[in-house]
Amino acid sequence: MPPSGPAPLLPPDVRHRLRGLKLRARRAAGAASGIHASRNRGAGLEFAQHRAYEPGDEPRMVDWKLYARSDRLFVREAERESPLTLWILLDASGSMGQADAARPDWTRLDAARALAAGLVEMALAGGDRFGWVALAGDQPHLLSPGAGGRHRDRLSLEMATVKAAGGFPPPPRWAPLWDRIGAHDLVVLLSDVFDPNSVDLAGRLAAAGREVMAIRLLTVEERDFPFQGGHRFRDPETGDELPGDGVLLRADFLRRFGEARARIGAELDARGVRHVEYVLDEPLDAPLRRLFGGKA
Amino acid sequence: MSAALLAPLGLAALAALLPLLLIHLARRDIQRPIDFAALRWLTPRPKPHRRPRLDERALLAARLVLLTLLALALARPVVLDERGARTWLVVAPGVDPAAARAQAPNAARRLWLTPGFPELAGQTPGEGAPISSLLRELDAALPRGARLTVAVPAVLDGVDAERPRLSRAVDWRVLPGATPAPAPHAAPAIAPTLVIRSAPGFEAGARYLRAAAAAWSPSPSAAAPAVAPLSEPLPDTAKAIAWLAPGPLPAEVRDRLARGAVVLLPAEASIEGLGPATPLWRDAQGRLLVEGGSQGRGRWRRFTRPLASETMPELLQSDFPTRLVGLLADPPPKPARVQARDFHPLIGGRAGSPSAQDVTPLLALIVAALFALERWIATRRQRAPSP
Repeated sequence: MPPSGPAPLLPPDVRHRLRGLKLRARRAAGAASGIHASRNRGAGLEFAQHRAYEPGDEPRMVDWKLYARSDRLFVREAERESPLTLWILLDASGSMGQADAARPDWTRLDAARALAAGLVEMALAGGDRFGWVALAGDQPHLLSPGAGGRHRDRLSLEMATVKAAGGFPPPPRWAPLWDRIGAHDLVVLLSDVFDPNSVDLAGRLAAAGREVMAIRLLTVEERDFPFQGGHRFRDPETGDELPGDGVLLRADFLRRFGEARARIGAELDARGVRHVEYVLDEPLDAPLRRLFGGKA
Repeated sequence: MSAALLAPLGLAALAALLPLLLIHLARRDIQRPIDFAALRWLTPRPKPHRRPRLDERALLAARLVLLTLLALALARPVVLDERGARTWLVVAPGVDPAAARAQAPNAARRLWLTPGFPELAGQTPGEGAPISSLLRELDAALPRGARLTVAVPAVLDGVDAERPRLSRAVDWRVLPGATPAPAPHAAPAIAPTLVIRSAPGFEAGARYLRAAAAAWSPSPSAAAPAVAPLSEPLPDTAKAIAWLAPGPLPAEVRDRLARGAVVLLPAEASIEGLGPATPLWRDAQGRLLVEGGSQGRGRWRRFTRPLASETMPELLQSDFPTRLVGLLADPPPKPARVQARDFHPLIGGRAGSPSAQDVTPLLALIVAALFALERWIATRRQRAPSP
């Protein structure tokens, strides 16, 4: 079912490459039932189906009552309830509206939406529940977790209305998150993580027992600083402006920004947040593959 | 081949290049600021490096070339054609061509010094020609730096009264021979046949003229010219016409004048439109009796006083017919023969400018093509919005 909205959030090729990926939480991965995956059939509460007995099935799985009625051996299978709830924390502060001059219609927020759509697809494939929070303005917008295609559509509709404006919400505005995001939930933060508050939020959620991951979105201009000649640079959140010559600023900026990236990464590591960087010219599935692919 | 500008002030239009450059200077002041969230890691520099930067170099270059060519077109460029042989030999008529041929190296171009400058290989031109004028013409037409050898006969005819002044040194070779004599001039001082036309009231004056004309006749028996009224048609052969009538000349007489007749006019006639008048005859007291001028190929003479013995006693003098013949006769030919060795041209004449070719049409074509190119660049789809 294609996602509703003017344009599909997720290009078909990316959707195809995401097919093999599964949401994987460290804590869930350590559970006895093995890899968390969709529709594991096995011991559980929800009845899924009967199937014919095969040699090797545990005798306790055989539905003896049915055997009594039909004189044939059936195995009772149940659907295991997913223990995983995915929370997508979408940073919608002003800095997320930044795009590269080379591709002005591909802002950080657009990339974050597409990544969120990818995460939702993965959650759908695994039968997991998912909700999202838009971190902007006075009150974080919040959609309670749900499952299924209708919930995915509602989420993408809501996401389409988000505009990048304002700053990252300060700690007093985080109260709803504590109420709603349960322990052992999987939280993915989509943000540039420039704001110390965003690092703090991820760190606190991780400290409170949530599985927190962060995808740090960078623009190509931040990575390469390709400016030539004089420009006026403006911080979209504070409105501060700085005139300068691109060539002169370049070396110093790349050094300081590289240090800052390393420092933020180290801090996230130290606070137990897994994180990857995503630059806007990379394929969309790359960060998800780095987070969820491979053998964890 | 070299180029020159006929109107160098047109290059002042090059000043238009300056506003063009200003238009294309990047207008950084109205540039949109760049959103940059990582601003906090940008180190402010105390003095931003400002180097003039130009937008859309290709368009600017096309416009610069276009304007430059337009300014050049305003300056009216010409290309001077200075091709041609380096040595020239011209031979005046009257020289043996075979003897003249040896006067210059083989590479030289050899021409006759006659109108049109035919090749020496052609047959000998018969008619003599104005040598001085032809020399000046050739000197002006030759490319700068060309060496000129002139072979002339010992006696030159048809020259000016002055040694020609040329822009270059001339190798002046005098060979035996003489310029063929031009057609013989008409025998001088043959008295013309006077045709007298008289308006009413001028008959008395006409009598003096008739008497003078009768006096020219070689034999007394010859009939004196008749005095006829103005309405009488003029004979076709009339060379001398006495038109004794007041006011301006009628068209018929003007036509005769233009074709070479001599017209004698009374004091009452108007000489308006006949050109400047020169005094021709003064009496013993120095008072003007006859003035005259030329018009077309003909000449006119006008008495300044009424033709009566009271006002002009010279009419009664015995030398009046002789005077009248002198007034009417053709001027004697100017002396035009000279010893060629005395006629070596002088140096110091103005150099003639070689034939110049106007390149403005070519320039206009290039400008049109460039304009099309400029429009194409300026209206491309991938163009930035500014200038």
